[in-house]
Amino acid sequence: MRLLLVLLLTLPCLARAQSELTVVGFGGGFQDAARRALFEPWSRATGIPVRDDSYNGEMARIYAMTRTRDVVWDVVMVEAPELARGCEDGIFQRMDWSVVDRTKFAPSTTSECGAGAVSWGAALFWDTTRTARAPKGFAELWDTERFPGKRALRWGAKMTLEVALLADGVPRDQVYAVLATREGQDRAFRKLDAIRDDLVFWRSGAQPMQLVNGGEATYALGYTGRVVQANAQAPGRYAMDWGTLLWSVDSWAVVAGSPHAAEGFRFIQGITELEPLKRLAAIWPASPAHRAFAEDAAIRAANPDAVASHAAQGLFLDTRFWVEKGEDLEKRFAAWAQR
Amino acid sequence: MNDRRTAFVLITPLMAALALAFLLPLGLTLWRAVANPEFRDAMPRAAHLLRAWDGTGLPPEPVFAALATELPGAQAAQTLGAVTRRLNEERSGMRSLLLATARAAPGMEAPYAAGFATLDPAWADPATWRFLRRAASPMTAAWLLRAVDLAQDDAGRVIAAEALFRPMLLRTLSIAATVTLICLLLGYPLAWHLTRMRPEHARIVRALILVPFWSSILVRSAAWIALLQRDGAVNAALVGSGLLDAPAQLLFTRGAVLLAMVQVLLPFMVLPLAAVMGRIEPRLMLAATGLGAGPVALFLRVFLPLSLPGVAAGCAIVFTVAAGFYVTPALIGGARDQMVGSFVVFFTNQTINWGMAAALSALLLALVGLVALLSRNALRRIAA
Repeated sequence: MRLLLVLLLTLPCLARAQSELTVVGFGGGFQDAARRALFEPWSRATGIPVRDDSYNGEMARIYAMTRTRDVVWDVVMVEAPELARGCEDGIFQRMDWSVVDRTKFAPSTTSECGAGAVSWGAALFWDTTRTARAPKGFAELWDTERFPGKRALRWGAKMTLEVALLADGVPRDQVYAVLATREGQDRAFRKLDAIRDDLVFWRSGAQPMQLVNGGEATYALGYTGRVVQANAQAPGRYAMDWGTLLWSVDSWAVVAGSPHAAEGFRFIQGITELEPLKRLAAIWPASPAHRAFAEDAAIRAANPDAVASHAAQGLFLDTRFWVEKGEDLEKRFAAWAQR
Repeated sequence: MNDRRTAFVLITPLMAALALAFLLPLGLTLWRAVANPEFRDAMPRAAHLLRAWDGTGLPPEPVFAALATELPGAQAAQTLGAVTRRLNEERSGMRSLLLATARAAPGMEAPYAAGFATLDPAWADPATWRFLRRAASPMTAAWLLRAVDLAQDDAGRVIAAEALFRPMLLRTLSIAATVTLICLLLGYPLAWHLTRMRPEHARIVRALILVPFWSSILVRSAAWIALLQRDGAVNAALVGSGLLDAPAQLLFTRGAVLLAMVQVLLPFMVLPLAAVMGRIEPRLMLAATGLGAGPVALFLRVFLPLSLPGVAAGCAIVFTVAAGFYVTPALIGGARDQMVGSFVVFFTNQTINWGMAAALSALLLALVGLVALLSRNALRRIAA
């Protein structure tokens, strides 16, 4: 029995007595493209083997790894609030800016523990074969007389409360200042109440397209990348209002206690260079967090559907705000939803 | 005696596995619901001094001094984040207060009490300190209270908070009970039929019953979306056959949630029922018929009582599994059909508030256990 226990406890350690770098992202088409354009060329150039795996963004696994000191992931792709929380809690290492060149990243895409990977966004879209009526911005989305049909928004406080305040006429640069006050939160929930029966909520990124395709919703807030992909298959079918863009950035981070941290930072430096990122953008509609994608006119013209090309007219989701108020507001949203 | 020892040796691995895989995680979860380690781990000296303080007025100077050294230390060691989030969850404003103080403390000099008060008037408020004293205790009731929509005020008195989890827990139990009832009504005749089939047919039907287990729950829920949506097969059939004039709202309703959950959980009801029914001695039926019992009396007085253990087992399994569902209601339910499991996942994976996740789990576990116990007793009374 004791022998069995010892065996059970040591097996995982034996299995990973190897020197390859384990990179974990959200999987899907993006990761396939990243493997071809970023990971494999870097691996060939440096001779360091790279293995990539995917997860659903569940932080509990990384917390468990760092607590048990059995860190099997080296570099992970994380969303901004999870990065900020994880950095405070010490599950991610502070970025080694002597290895990673911080100046090449677009503004607000780097932080203490993270280097920007790609921007992502969500915007209002609809199926032009089903409806010819196009609301201008979120304010008109609330006009259920002129624009009948269900509206699909993301389940939860994040994004939904921003949409409500924008619809209520709050300027983009004041959304979070208003939302920080109790009156502002009441105002957002009152706005949602106004069209409550015309709202449906989605949970996973694939759902908005499914709901619009199935006629369940006429207008939906959906991830721009997926709408662009759908339009590539059926050109011109879906109309998207880039003026309703809400966006954020996913980052690369090195897990605390990773035995390959040094290689991890070199990896991040290597795959955030402009040349490999251009290769990536050529095979997948990604929006790399490199400065050139936000500033270089030629690159922007070559990537008309990249979030970075529209970021200036969008609302940047405030990471600090959601780390601080997220739990409170998500609970309040759930209480509102079940009333 | 020797046999017993052999038996004991033989079941030891099983007992050890049970303890490791079941009792240990369960115990740890229950402990996490009341554990309060963040403050004490990050700032042990300040926590110790706060506990030693009697809680009246403002604490003595050494408490201020300990915080002044330990706050920046905890920030450097990346342990302050967990403390600030833990405290902010109970009392908003604590996060920014502690972070600002951690930044300013290295530049302060004794007496720290004065420096703290100039930095932020909250430090001159005894309520802040009473709250910190409570936060430094080794155990907390905050998460369990919050799980039933209660909170503690500055003086530690229990007060009511916004109604969120209580309605959600009740809804979870009511959905689980409804699903169990529907499964029983559908599964009982099916199981009965199964025991009366020819064995080779029964094998095929059994395999068909198990088919839902072959795909992931996410895929099954997505399939229901395709079927129930406005342009879906069900609406097309209803409108096409003239039963409806226009497509009906089927998706995002309580009915859709119940339908999908019953589809997933039906095997858990049928299999134990069929197992018990298959063991009912056929000669008992013959004897009852011989003694003059009609079909109704035969069923009510012989077959039904003998099948009750299967009913109990099936209901217990279906109810327990249903109470922990969250993916299906999240994907095909409406805003008013959300179950408590979704918040357990939210706290576990997104806000990393494992105390709150554990408290909700513990409460759900207790409620499900209570329901199971009550229904078992009720069943026994019926059987007797």
